[in-house]
Amino acid sequence: MNAEAARVAGAAPSGAVAPAGAAADAAGREPLLELKDVTTHYGPIRVLHHVDMVIYPGEMVCLLGGNASGKSTTLKTILGIVRVSEGEIRFRGERVDPLTTSDRIERGMAVVPENRRIFPKMTVRENLEMGAYLRKDRKEMDEDLEYVFSLFPRLGERLSQLGGTMSGGEQQMLAMGRALMSRPKLILMDEPSMGLAPLFVERIFEIIKQVNDRGISVFVVEQNANVALSIADRGYVLQTGEVVLSGAAQELLTNEGMKRAYLGET
Amino acid sequence: MSAISSAVKRKVNWVPPAVGLALLGLIVWRMVYLHGLNPNFNASFFAGAFLRSFQLGSLYALIALGYTMVYGIIRLINFAHGEVFMVGAFAAYFLFSTTPMAWPVAIVVALVVTYGFMQILNFWRGRLTDPLVLVGGALAFVAVSVALASTTLGWLAAMVASMFITGVLGVTIDRVAYRPLRGAPRNSMLITAIAVSFFLQNFGILAFSNRQTPFRPPSFWTQPLQVQVAGETLFTSWMIVLVPLVTAVLVVSLTLFVTRTRLGKAMRATAQDAETARMMGVNVDRVIATTFLLGSMLAAAAAVMWGMTFGSINQPAIFGILPGIKAFAAAVIGGIGSLPGAVVGGVLLGFLENFLTALFPRTAEFPGITEYKDTFAFLAMILILLVRPSGIVGEDLSEKV
Repeated sequence: MNAEAARVAGAAPSGAVAPAGAAADAAGREPLLELKDVTTHYGPIRVLHHVDMVIYPGEMVCLLGGNASGKSTTLKTILGIVRVSEGEIRFRGERVDPLTTSDRIERGMAVVPENRRIFPKMTVRENLEMGAYLRKDRKEMDEDLEYVFSLFPRLGERLSQLGGTMSGGEQQMLAMGRALMSRPKLILMDEPSMGLAPLFVERIFEIIKQVNDRGISVFVVEQNANVALSIADRGYVLQTGEVVLSGAAQELLTNEGMKRAYLGET
Repeated sequence: MSAISSAVKRKVNWVPPAVGLALLGLIVWRMVYLHGLNPNFNASFFAGAFLRSFQLGSLYALIALGYTMVYGIIRLINFAHGEVFMVGAFAAYFLFSTTPMAWPVAIVVALVVTYGFMQILNFWRGRLTDPLVLVGGALAFVAVSVALASTTLGWLAAMVASMFITGVLGVTIDRVAYRPLRGAPRNSMLITAIAVSFFLQNFGILAFSNRQTPFRPPSFWTQPLQVQVAGETLFTSWMIVLVPLVTAVLVVSLTLFVTRTRLGKAMRATAQDAETARMMGVNVDRVIATTFLLGSMLAAAAAVMWGMTFGSINQPAIFGILPGIKAFAAAVIGGIGSLPGAVVGGVLLGFLENFLTALFPRTAEFPGITEYKDTFAFLAMILILLVRPSGIVGEDLSEKV
């Protein structure tokens, strides 16, 4: 895996895939989220190494990479669960890396964690309410509840069921609904396809696309590169904590090194 | 596959309960063989033991709730909880006994207590409007004012104020001793808890002097009460009514808090998955502080009623130990981490103790085993751990992970 990934880095023709930041900057948009030269550590172990990433408003960006490449750490760093040791994170123009997680959530981030992580002994309704934990406006919350039910009618039917008794796919719906309840500007998703049946994976990504079409930016960490790239605007490839490849999703899909390493084609 | 694993599980699990039950059987047989049952045991004895079971069980339940809440949220067995209980009793003692408060002083005290209460709740409510602030403040104010209006309710004022003081103590303990160790291995916190417990014992000796202290606030509830049951007179006090009543009110309010309010839901979410709760924007440290606040307040309420029930409180060095450790046993019996479990475990322990005392009392010609009632509380805990480690109400531990 490692050797293959290294070849990806080497094989990427520098001209073929333009650096994502530069391409989007040309359109003159202000970035929604910006990671500048971010390095993080777990104790003495360096996990991310000078990572630069940009997400523009309304975009859907996916982050690909093998096991232990630092994908989840990137998400945790954006959320503030892991602290940056170097570099800075800007969200809507404001520097957020000194802020606590709840302050960042309040500024418009939401997360669909790895393995869904819904609250097993709370009802569907309570789980959704936890998503809206930092919000005050009762009426807006009810509107969002309606929106979540329109995306996932099954949640509306099972409001009083305990989260832990639902199937994996239903839990994924609940986790996404919970993230939407905070009316975020940016949704961070960690492996939404993990452990789901192929049919469900497609449905989930369809819904992610619907959410994205509504103007909510999506940043999705995914192992399933094919599905993710087919709906994303752009992608980054991470390998042992460094961005080795980035560019438009279509270019990544046809990139030779990508094909060999991640897309399962020979 | 599952059939095999369950068969293996059964094979492993049958031995310890069998040994435990055999041990219990042996002890019961020796007991009955040596002493026989209490010859005076009758309907009156039964009624007395039954009522006292609820009384003592309620007190255990209130203390056990503190253990179980803290365990549920940070997986810490808070060994200092018994000492928090002790401080609760002494704080109340000093509030109603050493200062026979004159009216103006009393009003100032009421205002200060209410204001402090509101400030504490104000700190917790953060940037969101929470009716808890007003309700809490108003309740404290009403309780204190009502208490001052009638001297026989002085104990209630003392209890509310002591709950406030002890709650602040609980939050302080968390802030000073446990919060710096949040990321540390669990054993470090456990050892710290024992250290805090020793510290509070010695603080108690310094602050309150190490002697048994009479605890008799002027109150209607501590008046003797005589009831005729099956032709015999049962001597007790009104505390037998008051303790379960106050406990019920507190437990119901706690349940409502945990299931209905925003902070209560955040508390449950944190207990289930702290990291995800943080990702929803929950301030986990604040939630943990709230847990310590509520647990300590319940312990203080139990402490005041404990003193009123027995008429005195023990030396500060030892007062907290036995109630604390027995309430811990109650929490384990009911299923540690579960709120209904703590109540069930507490009441069950109350029944165990009182019926042992009623069936095998100590009289001149009848030695009895009352002296061993503590042993039986812990024996019950060991048996539960052998037979059903998750406790009576607690869920299967394998589900958690």
